Amino acid sequence: MLTLDAALRATEILLALAFLQQSAEYIFGSRAAWMLFGVRAALSIGLLFGVYGAWVLLALCVHSIFVLHRFQGPYNGGSDRMGLLVLYCLSLSRWMPTAALQEVAFGYLAVQVILSYFISGQVKIINPEWRSGRALGDVFSFSVYPVALSLRALALRPRLLWIASWSVMLFELLFPLSFLNAGLLILALILAAGFHIANACLFGLNRFVWFWVASYPSLLWLQGRVFPGG
Amino acid sequence: MWKTLSLILPVLMPSWRFFKTIEPSPRVQWRFLTDKNATTGDWQDFRPRPQAVTAVQMIGRLFWNPVWNDNLFVVSCAERIEQQRTDRSITEITQRILADSDATQMNPQVRLVQFRLLFVHRDGADLVEDIVFVSDPVAQPRGPSC
Repeated sequence: MLTLDAALRATEILLALAFLQQSAEYIFGSRAAWMLFGVRAALSIGLLFGVYGAWVLLALCVHSIFVLHRFQGPYNGGSDRMGLLVLYCLSLSRWMPTAALQEVAFGYLAVQVILSYFISGQVKIINPEWRSGRALGDVFSFSVYPVALSLRALALRPRLLWIASWSVMLFELLFPLSFLNAGLLILALILAAGFHIANACLFGLNRFVWFWVASYPSLLWLQGRVFPGG
Repeated sequence: MWKTLSLILPVLMPSWRFFKTIEPSPRVQWRFLTDKNATTGDWQDFRPRPQAVTAVQMIGRLFWNPVWNDNLFVVSCAERIEQQRTDRSITEITQRILADSDATQMNPQVRLVQFRLLFVHRDGADLVEDIVFVSDPVAQPRGPSC
């Protein structure tokens, strides 16, 4: 069973790597606010090696407010929101005075990860356009996400779109059930990571992969905490 | 303080309603103008997507995808302009067009740059484009030799 401390440390390492990847893109790639992200990169190196961990987390939280103001919100929507949620829950957990409160803060992250899949599935399955495969067809047909023009041709494959739509919806809706068993949860997380990698390949959403994976230790810890031996 | 809270609260209590519906999708187009009254410049897509991307490129972009992520931020700015116009979002897009156009093209006759936003949506079986915003022309920064 993953202990709270081990899960927190694993999350710190994964979050630091995700922030370093993101910061490198700003500093050497788009050069959008590169000085701001130079600071995040330096703090992330401290987090990666566990140097003044709790203070570095606090500094990253303060820094995140400047980033949110700089871009009038998250730069990349959902992925940046997840990155900051991981950061805030991790920081709260490290700074809480009692073990129980530390668990509440970190457990909140795990609950939000479960909700991130379940709510995404729930809002899709009540939409007839998603149930028919038409909505996914629209994603390929005219949304901004397909990384290449050739991928737009997938909008003309209705059977494939229907299968893909239902696969995604059922996986997202059933994801919370995997929490009942440790082995099942590991399998579900592998599938979920594969889903994010597919989204990164087809739609260029690479930051989702790193920030969601950074949140997975919280789920593995909470599952063992709620269902010991289960 | 309220502004900061309004930025942090959606992070602490996210909605997670990804792709609930497929909303009209923005496209940014830009053109050069020789003066404010000129109508000659052809509209060009801002950072057009490639025809194809190889599997190796897709895997590589898992680790390095700065331009695409910046494009997604431009999409956010376009949606903000459509919903509640702000100078900040207009400036973000304008700066990127100026930076890209300066790097790829420099015509001595060119004095101004302008962009517009199209929103594409499905109407029955057809795809429809609506022009929802046209920016004021902005002066192209001149190099020392111009």
